[in-house]
Amino acid sequence: MKDLIGGHKTWLGIAILMAFLTLIPFFATDYWMTLLVLILIFTVYASGWNLFSGLTGYTNFGLAWFIGVSGYVSSLLIADHKFFWLFAWPIGALFVGIVSIGVGYILLRIKGVYFAISMVALTEGTRELIGTEYLEPITHGGKGVPFVAGISLSALYWSVLLLAFITVIICYKITSSKFGLRLMAIREDEQAAETMGIHTTRDKIIAFALSAFLTGLAGAIHFTYQNYIDPSFGFTIHLTLTPIVMTLFGGVGTVFGPAIGATLFTFIHEILWAELTILYMAIFGAILIALILFFPQGLLGWMKERGILPRIRKI
Amino acid sequence: MTNFIEILIRGVMLGSLYALVGMGLTLVWGVVGIVNIAHGEFVMLGAYLAFWSFSLLHLNPLLSVVLAIPVFFFAGTMIHKRITERLTKAPELSALILTFGMSILIWNLAQFFWTNTYRSVPYLTGSFPFFGLVFAKSKTVSFFLAIGITAALFAFLKYSRLGKGIRATSQNPEVALVCGINTIKMRAVTFGMGIGLAGAAGAIVSLQWVIFPQMGASYVSKAFAIVVLGGLGNIQGALAGGLIIGVLESLVTQYWSAKMAQIIPSMTILLILLLRPTGLFKR
Repeated sequence: MKDLIGGHKTWLGIAILMAFLTLIPFFATDYWMTLLVLILIFTVYASGWNLFSGLTGYTNFGLAWFIGVSGYVSSLLIADHKFFWLFAWPIGALFVGIVSIGVGYILLRIKGVYFAISMVALTEGTRELIGTEYLEPITHGGKGVPFVAGISLSALYWSVLLLAFITVIICYKITSSKFGLRLMAIREDEQAAETMGIHTTRDKIIAFALSAFLTGLAGAIHFTYQNYIDPSFGFTIHLTLTPIVMTLFGGVGTVFGPAIGATLFTFIHEILWAELTILYMAIFGAILIALILFFPQGLLGWMKERGILPRIRKI
Repeated sequence: MTNFIEILIRGVMLGSLYALVGMGLTLVWGVVGIVNIAHGEFVMLGAYLAFWSFSLLHLNPLLSVVLAIPVFFFAGTMIHKRITERLTKAPELSALILTFGMSILIWNLAQFFWTNTYRSVPYLTGSFPFFGLVFAKSKTVSFFLAIGITAALFAFLKYSRLGKGIRATSQNPEVALVCGINTIKMRAVTFGMGIGLAGAAGAIVSLQWVIFPQMGASYVSKAFAIVVLGGLGNIQGALAGGLIIGVLESLVTQYWSAKMAQIIPSMTILLILLLRPTGLFKR
């Protein structure tokens, strides 16, 4: 990755882009702002997924669990306990981060497809549990939690912009660090990595919890933005799959792939949603099939193969 | 007491249908190595096949069960040859994403063409008494159909040449290839059989439950629980797993709540993966 973002020009470009994005609330319309908020939230989701699954090779099919748990905790704090949004978000994210240390300790022993299925089962089980009458006094059951956080769109936009920026920086730092190399060693051959003296369980759990924290923070912001959460909405499989597809679209295991994928995909989504509401899912499905069959390397990989982007050192 | 026995038998009848769906999934997963998330959508298509042939052609639904098997078998082999065979050497995530894409493509198209209306096949209605117990006619017929198909599947895998080839491919594809078994063909046949089982299960299901485009989701989650219970690629295990899930669901619905019954598949998956990751049964 060094060649791509090591140079001064790239940093200058990023600085200009950030300055531009920071100033957007002063001249953009609300429509563009909401679109950008969604792009940035999904950038964090996709990067958070990539941080754990792209590097370790453990397919996490429970991203919606991170999002839903943190979203529920922060939404309930805002709605029922009158917390200020800025405090509710990190509490929700910390909660899912800490719980996922325990979950990771138990579930990360399971490999391959079984891990993916167990995360889906965890998500579905949590969703059903939150909707049951036993948790209703705390979670409002299946009725959902409508609330008003009293946050302006600009403040929301700047928070999520800051979060997305920090997330991408963290991903960059990790992929070029020894910790990132250890995670990639786990992806290539876990047994060999362990033999080389890598504490695989600890590293996997750290990456898992970090991914949970960042994704959870974005999830909390997402539901504050929506002003509403309910079990089927907070834990929908689409919150897991859309970020994965975005990451695949951009390129798995790359730093900017998820961000690029999130941007392109949100626009595609927006256009499809506006034009073809009824057949939206079918087209989405067809895109997924085409993506796997024709662009298995992701967009970045495909462009590198064609020589559109410079070929870089592959880790 | 009679009530309890009735609930148990109802659970077994339900389980026999779940087993049919689960056996298809475990067969494809074990032999072809592809986790077919779109499996439930073929159940839905099977149900619609029975519904349309009943309402448009006035075909006997029992006949469409028999009809569904070759139709879906052929469709399955075609899908495998055209699409999924390319994924057998790809990372598992590719197959998961692709079959998920297939799943939403199929149900959305079904929604587009056939709308979200709940439909049913009013063929076998009413119930009959049996030694002081009362059974719905449709469920009893479904049960015997499911058992018949299961028995035929077992016999096919155990005694036929093709079945032996499939089992060999599942045990060790390389050695099977060396022994002169066309493993590519075996994988296509297996994929077709898995889809055929799903289609047949769908046609049977149409006799007793409502049909709608998104009905596949609940079957696929149960099928995953069954595969995990029975152990990957283990057909007998899937049969036992299906019966267990069916009986559990029936008992929990009766004595606890219908809402808690929906948690059974995910709880089963988590518990089994934690305690016995290879499934309950020895292969």
